[in-house]
Amino acid sequence: MALKKKKRVQKREELAITSMMDMMTIILVFLLKSYASTEVTVTPSEDMQLPTSSAAKAPELAVQLMVSKTEILVDGVPVLGLTTVQDEENPGEMLIAVPEDEKKGQMITDLYDRLLDKAEQAKALGEASGSEQHAFKGRILLQCDQNLPFSVIREVMYTAGQAQFSEFKFVVYKTE
Amino acid sequence: MAGKGRRTTEETPLDLVPIMNLVTILIPFLLMSAQFVTLAVIDSTLPAIGPPQEVQEEPDEPPLMLSVALTDQGFTILGDNGVVTGESEEEGAEGEEGEGEPEPTIPCAERPCTSAESYDFEELTRMLSLIKDEYPDDQNVILVPEGRIQYEVIVRTMDSTREDKSQKGEDDSSRELFPFVVIAGGAQ
Repeated sequence: MALKKKKRVQKREELAITSMMDMMTIILVFLLKSYASTEVTVTPSEDMQLPTSSAAKAPELAVQLMVSKTEILVDGVPVLGLTTVQDEENPGEMLIAVPEDEKKGQMITDLYDRLLDKAEQAKALGEASGSEQHAFKGRILLQCDQNLPFSVIREVMYTAGQAQFSEFKFVVYKTE
Repeated sequence: MAGKGRRTTEETPLDLVPIMNLVTILIPFLLMSAQFVTLAVIDSTLPAIGPPQEVQEEPDEPPLMLSVALTDQGFTILGDNGVVTGESEEEGAEGEEGEGEPEPTIPCAERPCTSAESYDFEELTRMLSLIKDEYPDDQNVILVPEGRIQYEVIVRTMDSTREDKSQKGEDDSSRELFPFVVIAGGAQ
């Protein structure tokens, strides 16, 4: 009598958890494999689609300049918005451009001020650390949407160049 | 006898619940930081505004100064001695016909080009490969894109000028062509 009762209780306790564990272990291994180890991350959105390239160089940490279809961001902080203008040579088509009142010639003034601040910060940090490795080298990571016209990128590059950033690194998706 | 039976029932259920708890916490965390696309960078420098470079000795051979102009008509390859028209190519004859506006070295499939697909990147790689045969020591290429050219086209052009995947170079990788890209201000 006593033995019979005990058996029934044991049966109720059994939950088939082993197969679930198997699945979880496989998922865990897969996720560990795709763990992001680089410091540089992108958040893809409708306005920000990087082009794909066969380049193989891994990104390194630097000032991040993002140019989406609608705005320019430095290290994730928005600096100014972009507008669309009529394409003079192809009437009816719109081109993304930097607003005229935001720039002086080719220089985008707000962006220049922000980048100059970043350059000064990076220089001070480099001097404080005292090591060659952290010295300011004028590196800048450029993330641009694949549909941006070159005229915008040229102005951004020119401005960055004026703010002492001369080593451009264009961030792209790697093709397998 | 009864005691032995009890011992076996005690051993069978292995308590997996704490491990399950741990794994369920780990999975969302790893899922958050998982990277499904790998990023890469393409280097480019601004030569004009960089730090002053020490004066180099005159090289024996004049530098090639290879440039690729990108317009909505196609690619135009320029060297130190003028535009490469590709005399032996079919496009050569076409190039001479051009009145007023010069014909690009590698015209687009449809003109004016509307998407990156209509540019002939394979032909650009093939022609640059021929130029590389002539100037094996040259590594620089200057890109001169028009203001309207999409960024995607520029990146794909840099890919085509960097390496030739159809040919094997040293150590079994694809053949290196002109890996150092400089983007010029371009035509206004």
